[in-house]
Amino acid sequence: MNDITVLEALKQALRRLPGVGPKSASRMAYHLLERDREGARLIAQALTNAVERIVHCKRCNNLSETELCPICSSPRRDKSLLCVVESPSDLVSLDQSGVYNGLYFVLMGRLSPLDGIGPEEIGIPRLEALLDEGTVKEVVLATNLTVEGEATAHYIGDLVRARRIKASRIAYGVPIGGELEYTDRNTLARALAGRREA
Amino acid sequence: MRIHQQPAYVLHHRDYSETSLLLEVFTARHGRIGLIAKGARRASSRVRGILKPFQRLLIGWSGKGELAVLTGAEQDGPDTSLAAQALYCGFYMNEVLLRLLHRHDPHDALFEAYQNTLQRLRHDDTNEAVLRIFEKHLLRELGYGLVLDRDVVDRAPIEAQAVYDYIVDRGPRRLAHLELNLPTEGIRMRGASLIALEQESFAEAAMLRDAKALMRAALARHLGDQPLHSRKLFRRVVATATGDVMAEAGVDKAGG
Repeated sequence: MNDITVLEALKQALRRLPGVGPKSASRMAYHLLERDREGARLIAQALTNAVERIVHCKRCNNLSETELCPICSSPRRDKSLLCVVESPSDLVSLDQSGVYNGLYFVLMGRLSPLDGIGPEEIGIPRLEALLDEGTVKEVVLATNLTVEGEATAHYIGDLVRARRIKASRIAYGVPIGGELEYTDRNTLARALAGRREA
Repeated sequence: MRIHQQPAYVLHHRDYSETSLLLEVFTARHGRIGLIAKGARRASSRVRGILKPFQRLLIGWSGKGELAVLTGAEQDGPDTSLAAQALYCGFYMNEVLLRLLHRHDPHDALFEAYQNTLQRLRHDDTNEAVLRIFEKHLLRELGYGLVLDRDVVDRAPIEAQAVYDYIVDRGPRRLAHLELNLPTEGIRMRGASLIALEQESFAEAAMLRDAKALMRAALARHLGDQPLHSRKLFRRVVATATGDVMAEAGVDKAGG
């Protein structure tokens, strides 16, 4: 009886992963127990390590193994430039573009008043404290191009400008390799509105 | 049941499973409905960019009951995103509609009013007046319209210079001179403010303040104890950005 409960507990635990329902959870559990016990140990160990050692960087709020993450502690980064993003994966994408050399702030979400997610839930007070330190000269608002992302950018933009710091929003338009014929009309409208001298 | 090409606005969207969206949609002929948009979050989805609030859509769905399945959506007209302060006001309207509309209750006049309000928010800088007018229409469409044109006791037309005591369930009652210094149970306001709200034309800031107090009290009866989240957002804006426009837009003031 006892081992069945342990197995059930494992299935229940696996179901906490996004997109995993009862069936997938059960398949994963049997796979690990019957075919890959070593893998199961690795996963368990990796999860325990991650949960114990990964914290939020005290400056940028990103996930980090150290109190101050490698980006924030790097001497080569331009500390006067701060890019605000919604999630750690947004940060990785932007950083891989290779053209940005400033620091980041990760909100871990976006303003979504109808879901009860307000400024405090996404770490805006911490961002304000960071701005008040006085080293940041420009804030790049790189939240997503969704209604919530726009609201977040607007809200933070107000806070930034109230401190007499420059606020900029990432540009939007036709993607590289994109053909106008296949670009949706809202993107085209933005691309036209945001045109610049050639 | 299969429905095609209905004018609609997304009020709220929430991620559902890996690639889908749960939508609360306000339609012209079917009122508020709940829809599931399967695969709408896939990179290849044709509706990904358009299933967003404040955009007029033509949508189709099938099924009945609490959740129907979105079968098609296209943008109807140009991109109508809201920006800046208007965006906050839009969130506020959507939250109020979500709280007050029951599913499958058609409200075509309210749909019209909602659409007009979005249009005005996009072009008008006096957000506050636009919201008050929307709230007035909303209450009327829900069957709780406010009496704004006459004294409920003697039926006399509202006089601009007189002072009235407005009790939400009943209406305005003109205060006699002797009563002016005594406490009353309703909301005290000038006749001119009632006329302004009735005629949807606010000439003075005081009229907007009165209208806000009245609407706040009238809506509170239907919203219940749960605070509106979008109001909380505005409160922070007022608190952090001094002299901010939202203070004028007046969707929030402490209390209530």
